[in-house]
Amino acid sequence: MENKVLSRYVDELASQVNGVVEESFGVLVLKVQATYIIEALTGAKNFPDVPCDFLHDLCGVDSGDHIEVVYQLSSLHGPQLLRVKATMDHENPVIDSATRIWEGANYLEREAYDMFGIKFKGHPNLKRIYMWDDFEGYPLRKDYVTEPIEVRNVVRTRIEGE
Amino acid sequence: MSIEKTEELILNMGPQHPSMHGLFRMVVHLAGETVTNIEPKLGYLHRGMEKLAESRTYSQFIPYTDRLDYLASPHNNWAYVQTVEKLMGVEIPERAEYLRVIFGELARIASHQVCIASTALDMAGWSAWSYAFRDRERICDMYEMTAGSRLTVNIMRIGGMSAEPPEEFWPALQSFLDDTPEMLEEYYGIFFGNEIAMGRLKNVGILTKEMAENLSITGPVLRASGVDYDVRKADPYSIYDRFDFDVPVRTGCDSYDRTIIRMDEIVESIKIIKQAVRDIPGGPIMAKVPKVIKPPVGEVYHRVENPKGELGFYIVSDGTTKPTRLRIRPATFINLQMLPIVAKGWKIQDVVAIFATLDAVLGEVDK
Repeated sequence: MENKVLSRYVDELASQVNGVVEESFGVLVLKVQATYIIEALTGAKNFPDVPCDFLHDLCGVDSGDHIEVVYQLSSLHGPQLLRVKATMDHENPVIDSATRIWEGANYLEREAYDMFGIKFKGHPNLKRIYMWDDFEGYPLRKDYVTEPIEVRNVVRTRIEGE
Repeated sequence: MSIEKTEELILNMGPQHPSMHGLFRMVVHLAGETVTNIEPKLGYLHRGMEKLAESRTYSQFIPYTDRLDYLASPHNNWAYVQTVEKLMGVEIPERAEYLRVIFGELARIASHQVCIASTALDMAGWSAWSYAFRDRERICDMYEMTAGSRLTVNIMRIGGMSAEPPEEFWPALQSFLDDTPEMLEEYYGIFFGNEIAMGRLKNVGILTKEMAENLSITGPVLRASGVDYDVRKADPYSIYDRFDFDVPVRTGCDSYDRTIIRMDEIVESIKIIKQAVRDIPGGPIMAKVPKVIKPPVGEVYHRVENPKGELGFYIVSDGTTKPTRLRIRPATFINLQMLPIVAKGWKIQDVVAIFATLDAVLGEVDK
């Protein structure tokens, strides 16, 4: 029953942000273009009876021809779940940062930047979080080459007496 | 001549440091002894789990999940196998569900005991540490009887459990359950009821309800800030809707409540295990699943209440034997964001205490 209420709100929101609504395993999925993401997230946060006001997770996905950011929204006041997907260009993925809506997006966006090279506009400290700063490439992209690269083959000569 | 100039001191704590619970480094900016800023530096234990998953089959990834939050490995197995089962639409036998609940709650107790022990240890409470670890050994023994290993147990399979507990498991479990109230009294008596411990923990590191909600905090840390939210109640998975238990909530928002709430949760876990032992039916422990796990095309997200917070798995499948994308939502990685905010203005020894009450396990933080 609650799902019907949520479904109505999500449909309304989708028409405002040019989105498409799908359903997967009982969870509503709202697909939008990256430019509409802030409107979509604020809209979902302010649903009247079933607010999706808790940023549960944020991650990047490489689907081959484009890059997506997937937001899993939930709420501390009910069981509702909503998945928002923002689609971006594969070569130059840029999206607005969600840190001004939820401070908790900070590390998650840094991780998505680290692994997929997604640039979050307006992020307070967009640096790599797991890999070291001068690491090249974005490991979770499908076009990342996992063969050992030359740089890593550092030859260490044994010093006399060591 | 007196010099009244102060200078900012930058102190590196970790990665190898006794109070860092693994390989974690933080750069602490100090004015005298007062913390002005903290920069956590992660990635010393980064193994690229999400990338590894893309070249493993669904069954091959189960042992990797043990290495996430290695203090509660059955729980990680559970979250992962349930996600794959949801994707494939597998119904698992009743007995396996009950066994999963028993092992999951045992893992919760073991994990909370480690948190209690290491919080005490970080404040030089050596004896409290040894008491909690002594009791955790008994849970490790029960793992060993059933699965053969004590830490990374790899006990669950897609479709059920890997092994039936042996005969001697049940009396061992029963005596453990009987002894727990006394154990908790001991922890309280030896450390947390102590005036010094209270002085170090009470009203230190306040995380308000609004901050916790805004920072996406989950688990006991959230509930110690006065939010009554537990996935087991809010969105019941497995068979949690059949058990009668309460969700402990505390409103102190400080380090003390973040630790003590774990003792309350142990009491609730004991309740759940007792009901599960009473109601467990006989029968098989594995469902009929195909030899080669090949879920249909689709994507699924599933979350469970890990001892440290909400653990989520997001799997995108393209219909082959390997996932296209496997995302792990690590609870403590997100909870760690509160550290720089909460610890600001406290002394350096309080930072150690606040970090301990977060119960961060670096295997999960760094994936």
